[in-house]
Amino acid sequence: MKKLLQKIAKKSPWLYRINAGSCNGCDVELATTACIPRYDIERLGCKYCGSPKHADIVLITGPLTARVKEKVLRLYDEIPDPKVTVAIGVCPISGGVFRDSYAITGPIDNFIPVDVNVPGCPPRPQAIIDGIVEAIKIWETRL
Amino acid sequence: MTDIVKLILDLLVFPGGLFAIFFGLFLIGIDRKIAARLQRRIGPPIYQPFIDLVKLIRKEMVVPDTAHVQAFRLAPLLGFAGMMAAVLLIPITGVYQGFGHSGDLLVLLYLLSLPAIALMIGGSASSSPFGAIGFSREMVMMMSYELPLLLVLVTVALKVGLATGGIATFSLSEIVQFQLENGALLFDYTMLPALLAFLVFIPGNMGVVPFDIPEAETEIVEGPILEYSGAGLALFKLMTSLKMVVVLGLAITLFFPTPMGENFLLNLLWFFLKCLVLMVISITVVRTSTGRVRMDQAFKFYLKYPTVLALISLILTLLQG
Repeated sequence: MKKLLQKIAKKSPWLYRINAGSCNGCDVELATTACIPRYDIERLGCKYCGSPKHADIVLITGPLTARVKEKVLRLYDEIPDPKVTVAIGVCPISGGVFRDSYAITGPIDNFIPVDVNVPGCPPRPQAIIDGIVEAIKIWETRL
Repeated sequence: MTDIVKLILDLLVFPGGLFAIFFGLFLIGIDRKIAARLQRRIGPPIYQPFIDLVKLIRKEMVVPDTAHVQAFRLAPLLGFAGMMAAVLLIPITGVYQGFGHSGDLLVLLYLLSLPAIALMIGGSASSSPFGAIGFSREMVMMMSYELPLLLVLVTVALKVGLATGGIATFSLSEIVQFQLENGALLFDYTMLPALLAFLVFIPGNMGVVPFDIPEAETEIVEGPILEYSGAGLALFKLMTSLKMVVVLGLAITLFFPTPMGENFLLNLLWFFLKCLVLMVISITVVRTSTGRVRMDQAFKFYLKYPTVLALISLILTLLQG
């Protein structure tokens, strides 16, 4: 029974975006993935939600600047379990072009457990969808 | 004794309860699919709302520290219970008689405002500023769409009441009986403005674009239901799906309850088809082809057009009778 529910539930991952001080490039790509019929992700059962309380898969962009660090951590704590984190772009991995800047505190996985990395500056929508599919596989084991 | 057993079965299994939940979720799934196809997307499968529900029930329910816990937990139950009771009053011609006796239209009117009240209580109990904004907007929305709804209901009640020799009848079964004998009100020219007013009322009551102002996702991040997660959110989704059945069913009962024949299943399918067509006209097409309006615009719109349309019908009915 639990297995069956797990199998059903994995088809409804709701996405939530956190901008951790990104330059907006990745966010534009995320909006593209969501809004343009060509890359429709609602067919996977995904839905962008405005509230962190509704989220299952968290998409984080940006290098985690010192200014937003506290807020991002608080936001992350508000997301109910089980959740999966996907880091979009090269910034969460290494800081990207902002590497060695005094203003950033990243890489993000020092503070938040990151499950999937989608590198690119910015990554293509196809890569983001692929990352989300990987995240769904991980999410299934946690449900 | 058998009456009570039948009543409980009615409430929990067939026209209300399980059946209505399935019916409503299925309608919402079809709505999402058609909306996706209208936007040239592939869209989710039709059974997506069921999957969402299973997922939400398996998620943890977070209650904010600053929230009023009892009110926060009870608000979704209140809305859900109100809608469960409301479904029981909706007759499906040839399938189900309807529960009420003489004043069920008035009871239905009160029950219909329960979801909005539940959202208000939940939003204000969550202690989130977005919830508070959602609360005030929900209130204004309710004030603006209740007036045309009331006028439409009074018009239909007067029409049937005057024709059968009384003043006004607020009994759904009498309204259905009248239409079975004298033809559906849909084909009566004096009722057309009222029907239009009801069609405009549906998106406002269901909270879909362009009137999703209380739950505007891009402005106030879903307002009242912002802080709900897991089971609470699932109950709100169930409430919305039941509300869909109640509102569409009410429109069909008031204007076009004509059955398909004697067959039970055929009548059920016919009711489903009528619901589907009504939903596509008044919800799906509207929400895919418009953008959200401002609060004051929605308020003015509802006080202008649907109210005037319903008044025209009312005056025509009075002149006739």
